[in-house]
Amino acid sequence: MKANTASEPSLLAATGLSRSYRGGKGVFDITLKLAAGEVLGLMGPNGSGKSTLLRVLATAATASAGRVSWFGNPNPRSPSVRRRLGVMLDQAAHFDKMTGYQNAWFFARQFGLAGELARDRLDELFRWAGLWEARDQLVGEYSLGMQRKLNLVEALVHRPSILLLDEPTLALDYRAELDLIERLQLLSLTGTAVLLATNDVHLAERICDRVIFLHQGRAIREGHVPELLTELAGSKEVQLQMNSPIPLDTLRSLPAVEAANVDGDTVHIVLARGANPAQVLAVLNGTADLVSNMRVRRPNLGDLFLKLTGEALPVTHG
Amino acid sequence: MMVLAGTIWQRELVEFAQRRRALIIKLAFPLLVGIPLVTAAPPFYAALSLTMLIAIIGTVGAGAVLTRERHSGLTLRYRTLPVTPGRLLIERLSTSASIDLLQVTPVLVLIALRHPSRFEWWPALLLSTAAVLLLGNLMGAVASKLSDSPGEVMLYVFIPLLPLLYLSGVFTPLSQPVLLVISRLLPFSYLHESLLGALSGQPNLLPWETLLGGFGFLVGAAGLTGRLGRRVTESD
Repeated sequence: MKANTASEPSLLAATGLSRSYRGGKGVFDITLKLAAGEVLGLMGPNGSGKSTLLRVLATAATASAGRVSWFGNPNPRSPSVRRRLGVMLDQAAHFDKMTGYQNAWFFARQFGLAGELARDRLDELFRWAGLWEARDQLVGEYSLGMQRKLNLVEALVHRPSILLLDEPTLALDYRAELDLIERLQLLSLTGTAVLLATNDVHLAERICDRVIFLHQGRAIREGHVPELLTELAGSKEVQLQMNSPIPLDTLRSLPAVEAANVDGDTVHIVLARGANPAQVLAVLNGTADLVSNMRVRRPNLGDLFLKLTGEALPVTHG
Repeated sequence: MMVLAGTIWQRELVEFAQRRRALIIKLAFPLLVGIPLVTAAPPFYAALSLTMLIAIIGTVGAGAVLTRERHSGLTLRYRTLPVTPGRLLIERLSTSASIDLLQVTPVLVLIALRHPSRFEWWPALLLSTAAVLLLGNLMGAVASKLSDSPGEVMLYVFIPLLPLLYLSGVFTPLSQPVLLVISRLLPFSYLHESLLGALSGQPNLLPWETLLGGFGFLVGAAGLTGRLGRRVTESD
C-alpha cells in the first residue's frame, strides 16, 4: 500500500466523468486517479453510484460525459486495455450449467493465458479460495459466497494491472475476508492498483490508501484514510439500541452531537470532540427505559460519512 | 470427463451439450413437426410451415438466451472480455446458428431421403437455411435489446417476422411485379423456394438462382452481424 501517490503516473484516470440514467440516477462529474500499487476505496450508501462508477471504469458501461483513460488509452473497447483489467462486478453472473472450473477456465483463456499456465494458476487460486473440492460442481449449485469467490478467482487469474472489485467481501465468511485482505495487500505491494467499491468500513480502513465518498452520484469528499480519520480524532460514536423511536431532531440540535441517524432500531450518534455520552443520555432523561443497549466506540470512516451527509453507510459487520 | 472450453464458440457448444434435457427437446422438436410435413403434406404447405419453423428457431432461441443473460449480468461480464464487440457477436451468433442448423438437420436429411431425385436443390437448401438461421439469430439479438423477458422477445420478433414472411411469398404466391421484386430482397423467399424445389413442388426460381441468393444473404448476414456488434453488445 502506498502512503503518497500524487506524483506517480496514473494507470487509470477519469476527469469529469458522468454516467446518467433515466430518473436522474447515475454518477456525475467524477475526477479520480489511480496509481500503480495504490488501493482506492469508493464508499457510499446503496444507490450512491459506486457500482455505476465501477462499471464505467471496468469498461462494462460507457460514460455519458467526461474522459477516462486506462494506461493512457482512452478506448474502453480496446482488447489491450481489457486484458489488463481484473473485474468483479456486483452481480456474480456465471454460466450456471457449467462447473466452477469450466467457468474459470473460460475466463482465464479469454484473457490470454496458455493452457498449462491457466491450469497452474487456477489450481492455486481454487485452493486459496476454498473452492477446490467444489471445482467440478455446477455453478448453479454454488452458494452466493462460493459464486463471489469464483468471481475473485476469475478476476485474479490473469494477474491484471488494475483490479476493480465491487463489494468483494459481500457474502464471504470471516476467514475468506482475511485471506482476501492479505492477498490484496500483497498484490498492491507488487504494483497492482486496486479499486474497491465497498461499504465495509473495516475493509476500507485496513487496506485503502485513499477513499472517495460518494453521495447521490457525486464525490463529496476524497482523502487519504489516516487524514480522514484525523478529522474525527477525539470524537466518539455512540450507538443506542432503542425500544421505541426517539426524536432525532432533538438529538441533532445538541451542541455535543455532530451527526445522528437511525438504522433500524439503532441510533448512531457522532459526538463532537470532548463531548460526553452522558450529555446525550441527559436528553433522554426520564425515558431511559427506551434504551435497551448502548455502545461507545472510536469513530470510523462510516461516522465521517454520517457527519458529512447525515446518512449512514449500510452496516456490513455486526 | 469435464470438457474445458477456452473460446466463445467452444463454450457455447459445451454448454449446449451439457444441457441434456434441452438438447433432446431441441433435436426432437423440429423432427416431430417435420415428419408429417415432409411425408404427408402438399409441398406448398410443407415449405410454408418449414420456412416458418426455421425462421422461428433462429430468432426466438437467440433472443431468449440474450435477454436472460442481460438480466443475470452475463452481458456485462462479456463486455469486460478482451474481444472486439463485432467478433464477440459473430462468434456467439454463428455458434448459435450452427446449433440451430444441427437442430434442423434431421428434417433436411428427411427431405433428401424422401425426394432423392431433387438433389440439385440440396446445396441451395443448405445455404439458404444457414442464411435464415444467422439472420434470425441477429434479429433475436436486436429484439433482446428491446425486451425485458424472453416472452417479450417473442413479441418483438413476430412483429417484423410475419410481414416479412408474407412479403417473401411464403403464405401465398405473389403475382404483382413489385411484390415479386421485394420478395427477392428477403432471405425467406430463397429458403421457401429451395424447400419447394427439394420437396418436389413448383418453385419460381432455378436451383442456381436460389443458391446464389442463399449465399449472398449468408455473407450479408455475417457482415451485418460484425457491423452491429458494438450496438448490440455494448450499448445499454
